[in-house]
Amino acid sequence: MSSASCTAGTLAAAIDAGRVADRLWLYSNYHCNLHCVYCLTESSPRADRRLLASKDMIAAADEAVALGYRALGVTGGEPFLVRDMPERLAALAQRLPTLVLTNATLFARRLLDRMRPLADLPLSVQISLDSAEPQINDQLRGPGNFAKVVEAIPRLIDMGIPVRIATTGDHNTADEMERLCALHRSLGVGDDDHVVRPIVRRGRAVDDRLGVVADAKDLFPELTLTVDGAFWSPFAPTVHGGRLDTDLLLTRQRLPLHDPTRALLALADANPAGTDTTLNIR
Amino acid sequence: MSRVELVGPDQAPLLARAYYPEEGQASPIVRALAQVPELLEVAMPFIARVFGPTSVDLRTKEIVVLRVSAINGCRYCVDAHTVAAWDAGLTQAETAALRGPVAGFSTAEEALVAFCDAFCNTPAPVPEDVMRCFRTHFAEHAIVELSLLAGATAMLNRFCTALELPTTPATRARLEAAM
Repeated sequence: MSSASCTAGTLAAAIDAGRVADRLWLYSNYHCNLHCVYCLTESSPRADRRLLASKDMIAAADEAVALGYRALGVTGGEPFLVRDMPERLAALAQRLPTLVLTNATLFARRLLDRMRPLADLPLSVQISLDSAEPQINDQLRGPGNFAKVVEAIPRLIDMGIPVRIATTGDHNTADEMERLCALHRSLGVGDDDHVVRPIVRRGRAVDDRLGVVADAKDLFPELTLTVDGAFWSPFAPTVHGGRLDTDLLLTRQRLPLHDPTRALLALADANPAGTDTTLNIR
Repeated sequence: MSRVELVGPDQAPLLARAYYPEEGQASPIVRALAQVPELLEVAMPFIARVFGPTSVDLRTKEIVVLRVSAINGCRYCVDAHTVAAWDAGLTQAETAALRGPVAGFSTAEEALVAFCDAFCNTPAPVPEDVMRCFRTHFAEHAIVELSLLAGATAMLNRFCTALELPTTPATRARLEAAM
């Protein structure tokens, strides 16, 4: 039995047992048009781009299929700052169901037109929205963010592209959360497609001591590839003070994918069962 | 001083954490290799096995490591293995001698030193007369092991010298205390 097929069998068992995620994450880039106060990667327009090449993303997707991963995720930075992102997403979603995380501020008519073919593929878009109050949301995410998000969500849904909403932080009171839920329902996003997770104290969140401190045992193992290597989780390849954090680095080598997968599985086996669930950082 | 960033314990990658002691500092070699955890993960067990206890006694092995390091001019390895050689039973006079013209060793150890000197004379094979003398004192498996040890030492000599890894404070303190 080859080491790759051995890893595939072990991966399938670990996924079925809920020990590791079935999704392979790809960091397409680290720059962003926003400058959010809690950003894990200190993303901003001036951030080091750390671009993952299209051919590397597609090669990773091909190997993910072969190894038995069941879904892909694309995040950054703001993925839609990468010029050919709609075409990359199409190539990825032709291989596995794909989720792309975005701030939804760049969906002008031309970009939406290029995204139209994605409606026929298993692609979902996860959009960040932190409050039903425009002022509070925009304090966290930048001026004008709220208006762009509530405009983009129905447009995507009308095109046939499923949308999820992610709310980061515990700043919403019960009433505010109820208003946020009412808002996303009114925009066409159901409760099952709204995720709320804490701020993780990494990246820019360290500066203001925001959120929760999380180590490997607090983060669900989800193999994540960036231009810098393979990491434990999409919450792992963070940047602070302009420097990449390596404390949750698995391997510098990304491909062949069975190498970082093997490292992830070995370390996941060493984690006590259920240790990631307390903080619900997904 | 180091030409590469030596990874501190707060940034030690997951696969590297086992090589960072809870008290005291990981070695500069570990902290450099932690930049590439998948290489650290295989290199450190290899280094530990080749340089650690095996069928060949540690005194013999430290003679090889110190002699090869001295010939190759590796300050880091000479410092670290002068101390390691003391711990393996060599005297200060013996470790000093291994850094220059050798005297005061047994016939077998002088044959070993001659082998090390020839080993470092790259790219030539070890001359037959040196091998013949070496063979009279060491078994075939020991020759293989000591050759691998000399080669691994030469590799680390280049690694540590090229990257200018710093002598650890603990090693420096012991060297200064012996002066």
